[in-house]
Amino acid sequence: MSEWVELNMGPQHPSTHGVLRLKIKVEGEIVREVEPVIGYLHRNAEKLCENTFFCDNLLYFDRMDYVGAPGMEVGYLEAAEKLLGVPPPERAIWIRTIMAELSRIASHLVWLGAYGLDLGMLTPFFYAFDLREKIMTIFVEASGSRLLTNYCSIGGVYQDFNEKIVQEIEDFINIAPSKIEELNSLFVKNDIFISRTKGIGYMSKEVAIDYGVTGPMLRASGVEYDVRKAEPYLAYSKVNFEIPVSSKGDNLARFLVRIEEMRQSVKIISQAIKKLPDGPFFNPKAKKSMMIRMRGEGEVYARTEASKGEFGVYIVGDGGVKPYRVRVRSPSLKNLSVLREIGKNVMIADLVAISGTTDLVFGEIDR
Amino acid sequence: MEFQPGEEKGKDGRKIIKVKKEDLLSTLESLKKKGFNHLSLITGVDRKDYIEVVYHLHSFESNEYVVVKTVTYNSKVPSVTHLWKSADWDEREEYDLMGIEFEGHPDLRRLFLPQNWVGHPLRKDYNMKNVQYINMDEDGEDYATFDPGDGW
Repeated sequence: MSEWVELNMGPQHPSTHGVLRLKIKVEGEIVREVEPVIGYLHRNAEKLCENTFFCDNLLYFDRMDYVGAPGMEVGYLEAAEKLLGVPPPERAIWIRTIMAELSRIASHLVWLGAYGLDLGMLTPFFYAFDLREKIMTIFVEASGSRLLTNYCSIGGVYQDFNEKIVQEIEDFINIAPSKIEELNSLFVKNDIFISRTKGIGYMSKEVAIDYGVTGPMLRASGVEYDVRKAEPYLAYSKVNFEIPVSSKGDNLARFLVRIEEMRQSVKIISQAIKKLPDGPFFNPKAKKSMMIRMRGEGEVYARTEASKGEFGVYIVGDGGVKPYRVRVRSPSLKNLSVLREIGKNVMIADLVAISGTTDLVFGEIDR
Repeated sequence: MEFQPGEEKGKDGRKIIKVKKEDLLSTLESLKKKGFNHLSLITGVDRKDYIEVVYHLHSFESNEYVVVKTVTYNSKVPSVTHLWKSADWDEREEYDLMGIEFEGHPDLRRLFLPQNWVGHPLRKDYNMKNVQYINMDEDGEDYATFDPGDGW
């Protein structure tokens, strides 16, 4: 008869990416059961949204996935603009596509650096954040802010892309591919990294679908599903890109899928910046004096592919200037819930490596 | 507005199937057999007199999307955790914030808030002026209290 010991991992554990607390039952050094405890960052953004104007709600969405804020803004606006009936002009759509892809790269780079730290590698962190800094410079130039950009707004974007921003993006496209290859080789040429990821944390296709896992985690388990292709929004139907899929389903597969996604994102940005049309960047129906008077009735659900997975926003309006109900489908929450299944019967050190690949951002899980 | 079972098209072009609460499980079961293997989201909407429960389903094979909607007057609906595991945390979240009781859920606890929290914040009649504080007991578990001076 062996004995189980119940342990708490977190919420102040350095490898838990914020405030994740894992209640684990261990037998020796093997984890037999794992139960995530969440809610330490809960602000109830859904309730807050019911008490503010449609245009102001964008701020709460910035604060959900704070490492890829423009991607969240795009998700909210897809729903809100359909409800309010103020579609953005063509130029704004392309600008948003560029911003969303930049935020995807930024988010994956943060994950990459942090994942290196999880596995005890300090060097890749600096390389990843060095490249991310280039994206931050673009965000600052466009919106005046590094993380919580609040750049997109109802009916368009906050300000137009000027010569300098376009130049910076072109510079980024030139250097990014080689930097990504450099980062990739820092990981995959490292024997310790391979031995800690290859074959560890296997998630089958059936488990992933059953638990509602989306994004890179699902694609690493062999399901070719991406909202950008399945239900194209913004300008994704007008650019060429591929969805990376792996059938391996382990940590290494999830790592490689994210690396390939960054390459594809660079490809999308380089096409979009060439196709960027001229014209207004703002729908005149959504001018500033009209912002707080916009009314929405009915219900709209919009889904977008955020950096973590399928990000859905469900808005119900009752004809007032504030939404009646807002519901957010956060991808990280579903991706974390599968940890109960794939975190079983592994070593404690491997649990850190597995929870690292789920790419958790707690602003979005707890909302 | 009276709730009528039937099909309609939403403002965003999605197919909405409205069913009575009694027919909910059989509808969802038959949809799952048709290949809707991804339960994307469960939402509760407080309409004051009744609560609307909305299920967003997606099929990976045929790339179809469907919305199933039902209403409940006593804030109780059957749980669908035996059909999709992803319903587990969604139902816990909706129980926590909206106060919908999912009958048959194996472990219906609050997901975000401490277990003894009073009220369900997303209800329209929730009093936001009634401030509750969160503290930690000696075992490390969180609990809610109305007393700001409580705790160690």
